[in-house]
Amino acid sequence: MGFLEKQTDPTSPMHWRGDMQADYFYPNGIAGDKFFKHLMENDTFLATKCKPCNKILFPPRLYCEDCFEEIFEEDWMEVPASGKVKLFTKATINAHGVKMEEPKVIAVIEIDKTDSTMLGIIKTNELDKDFSGVRVKAVLRPKGNREGTLKDILYWQVI
Amino acid sequence: MVEKKEYKEWPPYAPGTHVRESDIREKKITYSWWEPEVQYSWSVGHAMSKFLQGLKDGKLYGIHCKPCKRVIVPPRMFCEYCFGPTEEWVELKDTGEIETFSISYLDADARRIEVPILIGVISIDGAYPKPMGFMHYFGEMTKDEIKIGMKVKAVWKPESEREGSITDIKYFKPLEGGSEQWDF
Repeated sequence: MGFLEKQTDPTSPMHWRGDMQADYFYPNGIAGDKFFKHLMENDTFLATKCKPCNKILFPPRLYCEDCFEEIFEEDWMEVPASGKVKLFTKATINAHGVKMEEPKVIAVIEIDKTDSTMLGIIKTNELDKDFSGVRVKAVLRPKGNREGTLKDILYWQVI
Repeated sequence: MVEKKEYKEWPPYAPGTHVRESDIREKKITYSWWEPEVQYSWSVGHAMSKFLQGLKDGKLYGIHCKPCKRVIVPPRMFCEYCFGPTEEWVELKDTGEIETFSISYLDADARRIEVPILIGVISIDGAYPKPMGFMHYFGEMTKDEIKIGMKVKAVWKPESEREGSITDIKYFKPLEGGSEQWDF
């Protein structure tokens, strides 16, 4: 078919369909690997202490991000998988902007015995409650089913 | 064309630096892996549509620009020299000449391979002026045998496996006895 002819067969114009492979691979690193391997076997977290700053860092790190001091093997410690809610919000839409059937309470939790926080989902029936300062504990996957990612923490529960 | 891909462990082992392929396979390390769904549909247009349909039938189509005396492959709806419409479809032979080539020791995933992949641009017989053609794999020849100006012939997939893609041609193999050049 030339340029000046008319297209009469609607089946002939082709579309090239493709699926771009853009896999995302993130290894947890030396400190992260140790943390998740510990979490697979235990119900506690690991944290590291920076001696010059006198701070307990969570998640554990190989060096302090404030003073760049190296953290050695003896400064690793176990901390309980519980904490106190610092900030919280009630999410009604999901990551795609679609309204969720059940709203979720997402909170920044200060982990016990550490100076750091982490994000978590609080499972609760009282969605309109003020969660600031409420003590929560992590509910983990049953041992044996854990895969060594942050998804091993299923949700946080009010104590 | 490499029949069997031989992978070398890459990067080489060095303690405390890289994650090795075997570490992931044997789950020695913990990691996150996510495969996003990124689908696209690209409308190839009238000229490429005919070209790809032709590949499905085992034919190569070029298009003729009469004022410039060019036979364009892959075909386009207009000549980029005179901006005039191209009008006449020309069925081309599946033979050609190696215009340029490259010997690659990396595969499509940038992994080191022992047997190199041969790729290059083929000037298709019947297309005119001379450096007119497309890029493809070369097979049934070694890296020592390949040279510029070599006559080659397409090796097609079986008809049932063709899907209207440039990979319907598996590779180009050396042609015995040479090929002829059409004159306009």
